[in-house]
Amino acid sequence: MNRPNSYSSPSRPSRSSRPSRRRAAGHPPSATYLIAGGSMLAIVGLLVDLRTVFRPEPVADVCQTIVQRQSVLSRSELSRLLDIPERSSKATVQNVVSEPYCVLPSVEVRANVMAEREAYPLEFDPQTWFIILYENGEYAGYDFSFKR
Amino acid sequence: MKRRANLGWAIALLLTSMGCTQAQPNHPPRTLQIEQTWQLQPGHSIAGHRIVSGLGDISVQVKGNRVYAPFDGTVEPHATDCVFFSSSQVPAYLIRLCGIQRSRFGDVREGEAIGNSTLLQVAVLRRQPSGQWALVEPSTSILERTLRKP
Repeated sequence: MNRPNSYSSPSRPSRSSRPSRRRAAGHPPSATYLIAGGSMLAIVGLLVDLRTVFRPEPVADVCQTIVQRQSVLSRSELSRLLDIPERSSKATVQNVVSEPYCVLPSVEVRANVMAEREAYPLEFDPQTWFIILYENGEYAGYDFSFKR
Repeated sequence: MKRRANLGWAIALLLTSMGCTQAQPNHPPRTLQIEQTWQLQPGHSIAGHRIVSGLGDISVQVKGNRVYAPFDGTVEPHATDCVFFSSSQVPAYLIRLCGIQRSRFGDVREGEAIGNSTLLQVAVLRRQPSGQWALVEPSTSILERTLRKP
């Protein structure tokens, strides 16, 4: 008795209709490599900012003369200093903050006036420096210099 | 097959270029109060002509050359063609530079180019106890630091 074929395997494509390029098993096409490589470059480019590689040096590197290596500025000294109005005498400020860690080179920003600059690391954040500028024996202003 | 390879290259280049061009951090323009309240200031218009230099500006023919950061500091935009340069190492002072093209903003190191200029207007401002800024006479040394190639 002839049993009808209830199942017939799907016909395989003939050899001639397969793609002609032969690949060793497991190798992805070259376009995938390019996409993968491009994506990696994109990720690196997004994550790395070259500008962070070349950064200004912290102010400790521009000290001209070290005055008092142990000198730091505490929170209480800082808050008392911030209460001192500009144009007070340098002596008034020094009474609060005492000797600086170092002195920066004098600069002449305004014609015929030499500005003196003194720097203190913050006791509570030694990476941050506090810089005071004096002119003609008067307190002119301050700024924080952050190590980037 | 060639089309797929070309597409792959195109995608790779697109992704690489997207990765390389980071969005510039936002630099909001800086404005401030100048103590001297002169009638005519840079940026004002007179008879349809724009004033580019005011009392307190020193004008220098830079002839397209570069302008340099006099100290480690920060460049902020101010107005058309104008920037403010400030340095935490020089408290209480600001330098206003007008006539600058292709300026870069943000942190700069001493000696780095801030931009280029044909005719540069330099003004030095000193912070007053009131919080306002006063135009003061720029020193020769500050101008040299800004103009001389390091």
